[in-house]
Amino acid sequence: MNTAQHAFAAEQYGARARDYVTSAVHSAGGDLDQIEDAVRGRHDAHVLDLGCGGGHVSYRAAPHVARVVACDVTAAMLDAVAATAAERGLSNIAVRQAPAERLPFADGAFDIVLCRFTAHHWQNMEAGLREARRVLKPSCPALLIDTIAPADRVLDTHLQAVELLRDASHVRNYSAAELIAALSRSGFAVEGITVRKLRMEFPIWTARTRTPALHVDAIRSLQITAPAIVREHFAIDEDGSFDIEAATIVVRAV
Amino acid sequence: MSDAKHEPQTARNAPIDPRLLEILVCPLTKGPLEYDRANNELISRKAGLAYPVRDGIPIMLPEEARQLED
Repeated sequence: MNTAQHAFAAEQYGARARDYVTSAVHSAGGDLDQIEDAVRGRHDAHVLDLGCGGGHVSYRAAPHVARVVACDVTAAMLDAVAATAAERGLSNIAVRQAPAERLPFADGAFDIVLCRFTAHHWQNMEAGLREARRVLKPSCPALLIDTIAPADRVLDTHLQAVELLRDASHVRNYSAAELIAALSRSGFAVEGITVRKLRMEFPIWTARTRTPALHVDAIRSLQITAPAIVREHFAIDEDGSFDIEAATIVVRAV
Repeated sequence: MSDAKHEPQTARNAPIDPRLLEILVCPLTKGPLEYDRANNELISRKAGLAYPVRDGIPIMLPEEARQLED
């Protein structure tokens, strides 16, 4: 566990919490519909939104369930989530500050764990998944949603490089195979996976993380000089916009 | 939230919902926490730490916790 790195991630996101509440990429999507379907009718369920960020999972889930605990390592995100929940009259959302790798919840405290666009920020992805499993009741469901890296090493290296230039707190986008293997080792049975393409609009994508101009130029340079296979795979546009894949992995605690 | 006589959760130093304390544990020991209302802290006897509650948000970070004397 590295406190300095947690603080670093928290600092990166502290200044821009509200941008994540309003972000179109984060606040809409088929994956959120899938989350809503998974919690619909679960009136007695206690749900953990692990790595809640701007809180979009919590806002979708809260009307259907007894309680949502929104947990994140970044205090400013939690302030934004608490304020937005209050604005929307969602009184069953409670917020807690903690890193995924060291959750302050009892074993089996939750009926459903939801985790969206956060595992790629964790210092130790597998430790976070083990904690997710620990706080989930046996045979209960979890949904892990995250952007994924291609299995191909050329494509993977390009993606990690531009992600790090864009956001200094980027840790790693894992491949679908890596995530599935890690979930299996952490005590989850994988029940399904859906992959969706997301279009990253370059100006919005870099503005959200306040990417310095020098790094923006470096990303553009990497994109322009990239081999055709890279430009085609990510459908890199003239302005730097590109496609990234996101996987929704449905699992169950074994 | 549950208790009408308590101030709203968004108020500074708001106490936390007692029902939610049931599922909270110390992130280090995974042992129980006691709520110290006077200081608005969550006490882990086993870890010797007091976790602060700020604006109704329990800060469950050992590095932000106060070391208990004795």
